[in-house]
Amino acid sequence: MGLTRRDFLKTSIAASTAATVGLPMSKQAEAAVRAAEAGWQWDKSVCRFCGTGCGIMVATQGGRIVATKGDPDAPVNRGLNCVKGYFNGKILYGQDRLTQPLLRMTGGKFDKKGKFTPVTWEQALDVMEEKMRWAMKEKGPHGISIFASGQYTIHEGYAAAKLMKAGFRSNNIDPNARHCMASAVAAFMRTFGIDEPQGNYDDIEHTDTAVLWGANMAEMHPILWSRITNRRLTHKPMKVVNLSVYGNMSSDIADLEIIFSPSGDLAIQNFIAREIVRRNAVDWDFVKKHTVFTTGVTDIGYGFRPAAADKFHTPLEMEVVKNEQVRVLDKYEAVAQRRKAGEAVEQKNIATPGRHWHISFEDFKAALEPYTLDFVAEVAKGDPDESLDAFKAKLQQLADMYCDKNRKIVSYWTMGFNQHQRGTWVNEQCYMNHLLTGRQCKPGDGAFSLTGQPSACGTAREVGTFAHRLPADMVVDIKKHRDLTEKLWKLPANTINPQMGSHYVKIMRDLEDGRVLFNWTQVNNPWQNTANLNHWIKAAREMNNFIVVSDAYPSVSAKVADLILPAAMINEKWGAYGNAERRTQVWRQQVMPPGQARPDLWMMLELSKRFKLKEVWGEQPIPGLKAEGFPDGKLPSVLDEAVKMGYSPESTLYDVLFATPENKKYRWPDKIAKGRPNITAELLKDGWFPEKALFEEYRQFGVGKAHDLAPFDVYHDDKVRGLKWPVVQKDGKWVETAWRNNEQYDPYVTKGAGFEFYGDFAKAIPTGNLDGVTDPKPVSLAGKAKIFFWPYVSPVEQPDKNWDMWLCTGRVLEHWHSGTMTRRVPELHRAVPAAVCWIHPKDAEARGLKRNDLVWVESRRGKVKVRLETGGRNRMPRGMVYVPWFDEGVLINKVTLDSTCPISKETDFKKCAVKVYKA
Amino acid sequence: MNLSGILVIAKPEWVNEVVASLNDLAGVEVHQVDEAGGRIVAVQEAEDINAEVAALRRIKALPHVVVAEMVYHYIADDEKVYEGLPPELEEGEACAVPAYLRD
Repeated sequence: MGLTRRDFLKTSIAASTAATVGLPMSKQAEAAVRAAEAGWQWDKSVCRFCGTGCGIMVATQGGRIVATKGDPDAPVNRGLNCVKGYFNGKILYGQDRLTQPLLRMTGGKFDKKGKFTPVTWEQALDVMEEKMRWAMKEKGPHGISIFASGQYTIHEGYAAAKLMKAGFRSNNIDPNARHCMASAVAAFMRTFGIDEPQGNYDDIEHTDTAVLWGANMAEMHPILWSRITNRRLTHKPMKVVNLSVYGNMSSDIADLEIIFSPSGDLAIQNFIAREIVRRNAVDWDFVKKHTVFTTGVTDIGYGFRPAAADKFHTPLEMEVVKNEQVRVLDKYEAVAQRRKAGEAVEQKNIATPGRHWHISFEDFKAALEPYTLDFVAEVAKGDPDESLDAFKAKLQQLADMYCDKNRKIVSYWTMGFNQHQRGTWVNEQCYMNHLLTGRQCKPGDGAFSLTGQPSACGTAREVGTFAHRLPADMVVDIKKHRDLTEKLWKLPANTINPQMGSHYVKIMRDLEDGRVLFNWTQVNNPWQNTANLNHWIKAAREMNNFIVVSDAYPSVSAKVADLILPAAMINEKWGAYGNAERRTQVWRQQVMPPGQARPDLWMMLELSKRFKLKEVWGEQPIPGLKAEGFPDGKLPSVLDEAVKMGYSPESTLYDVLFATPENKKYRWPDKIAKGRPNITAELLKDGWFPEKALFEEYRQFGVGKAHDLAPFDVYHDDKVRGLKWPVVQKDGKWVETAWRNNEQYDPYVTKGAGFEFYGDFAKAIPTGNLDGVTDPKPVSLAGKAKIFFWPYVSPVEQPDKNWDMWLCTGRVLEHWHSGTMTRRVPELHRAVPAAVCWIHPKDAEARGLKRNDLVWVESRRGKVKVRLETGGRNRMPRGMVYVPWFDEGVLINKVTLDSTCPISKETDFKKCAVKVYKA
Repeated sequence: MNLSGILVIAKPEWVNEVVASLNDLAGVEVHQVDEAGGRIVAVQEAEDINAEVAALRRIKALPHVVVAEMVYHYIADDEKVYEGLPPELEEGEACAVPAYLRD
């Protein structure tokens, strides 16, 4: 490349960049851009990575992606990209892309102990079909399972949920979003009766305060962070508070950094609430009109195996797991729960952890009483080198902000709250303080749950790829919800299984104890992302079962699998994602996938052609099933009813669920494609447009239920950059909703109500006091939100003399989740080549260790070898180490604890006890 | 060679200082400045993207810089990106099993 060409290119890039961020361009610059980009096709797309949902423009030429830039018209990122977003074009082109199905074989036949051997798609689907039949014959519909994903496109998630729930009558589908969002979901449903945030990212430009609760936004949500940084520097009253268990990059611009102890957040929230009440900073008008006070059961265990755990766990593990049955209270829990230290509390509500009831304000106030500054500071101080007085002063400052009625506040959180043994509670506590002060659903005021994955909201939650969910917030164990779903899906009554399926961690446990014999992993990496991995790797490799992993790259899970299916990536297929602010965004296929790689949607549709109604809609055993209208332990045959509806027992699931007469009305090719390909439609060869048809079918679930989406083509309009649901038609236009539950913005709020929490889930509950239910008769709280009281509970495993350090895990800026994609971009890989273990220099010194030493990090469950880091971006307090989990060479989840929030079933990856010593 | 377009935002009163420090950085050229808005468009050239990511950090660390993010990523002439592409395969054709899955 000559110098002239390079200079010319630079001029063009500068001009293009300027145009992207809205700076005027000179005529020469415009000409330079035109010349440099001659023959390129630009199209809008969405970032593949985090839940922020930035708009990306992608340029293609000759079947390749040649450039990407931030989308200037995207309201989320306004032309900017973070380091990961920058590589959207490159992740397609890693050297070890999987391009052929691979089956473990010996001598030309499947062999669980065999070596990966390339096979055709026909052979791959043959063996898959055979193994699914075998698993269902042995164990019924719950003998099969899918590890689903918050990175599915909306179409993929919808097809997967429908295939499993309507086709195979199995609810054993659960997404990796269980690991990241489940606590947020449970809290939304229980507090407001409907899922997902009321506010949106524009809160940043309206607020005076950003409070980060265990969310390192500088590294994990850089584009939102650049908006917060900008607000901090341009709006004088703006303050940033970073609450974390260690110092991180988000502390750099924070006005207040509070380092708290693991689970100390539960106590801090109650301290704030106590101060709000004590200083009379309650917004009584809001509280009286729009909220009720509630609490619930607390003897709910820690999400371990509920019974016979000692059959699967070592005696060392049982030291912790035994708490599932009986918990001996420590001195802090005793004060917090108004009991005695040393009291052995039987965990009676492990099967019913979600029970809750109305209480009076007086009860609520009494419950907060123990959470004095002195008590909370002692419980929650996280840095042993900070003085108690300094810590108390910080807590006071934080409470001052919440008690200042003139200050707007947005609270942000992600994994610090969600991955928590009391994750649902701590989410609900955050709403407690926002609702008490009337700071919710208003521009600049709100508790806002951030998401980690690009479609955790749009797919995993809204479509409902959870073991208990159906589309649009409905659930399998409510008859009304099943009835509506069966009607929209044109299924005979009682086709849908009313028994909740296994959640993510339970699917792993089911594989371990032989209850589940078949698993299909799609768009995620369970054998890297699940805590206490040694158990699950052994279960996959040594039990008689069959594991299929669809992936674009050879992940740890692929290595553990029996069959690997090569998957197409983001711009190699049509897609749609929904981000953390309810914004649904779409893209067209831009390039073809390499080799034999295929879209996940195509894989599911092809598989569905291989099963007939007579195989799956006859009577099916469901061990333990008890539900009104169903015989005990089984699903009835619905074949007769199916015939009455016009189906044949010989009809395939493809014909009944997917290529229906209604769906086939959406034809491919379609002018909305503007000449771009659709590999799924082209391979199916039957003339329909699956992504459009499935989206239009899915839309029906939300219409009129405050979950409304616009038609497929509206999102593909050149001018549209995603729309925040509910999207309701007004004067012929599709109008999005900026702030929900607020009359000014939300068409679903009754006129004159001001605010209305119209979500209808769990909106009739009993009445009681702090000790339990006094009147079991359900009382309605229609239109209101709940202000929950929850006590402080200590982490189930804590450092002791043998295991003397806390371990916290998480992500780093340059890599995304398990690094399957980002580690393929050599430049990102070199930036942070291997995971390191961050430690306080004094802790290292006390163990005779120094920076770069290779050490073992070991827990009761396993150990990994990793290099030590005493400096860098994270500042650990003494007593805690941090190891990110992106690195397949440092499988830190062999060390972590598989304790979950008992309500949300989300794993706590943030706290367990380890020791660190020289390797 | 890697080229990227970067938006730098500085407080308007510090724009000239930031422009000067940007021009002092190896591989960085300032192309456009919006003084009133504090916005600066720079183009960065680096041997590989590793150097580029490190260089972006350098920019973020400059005094008075409020925001520095990449906007535009040019990969068209970076043939190395595409070299790793596996050959197009016909149905039934075997490919090499990735090394990571072989042991």
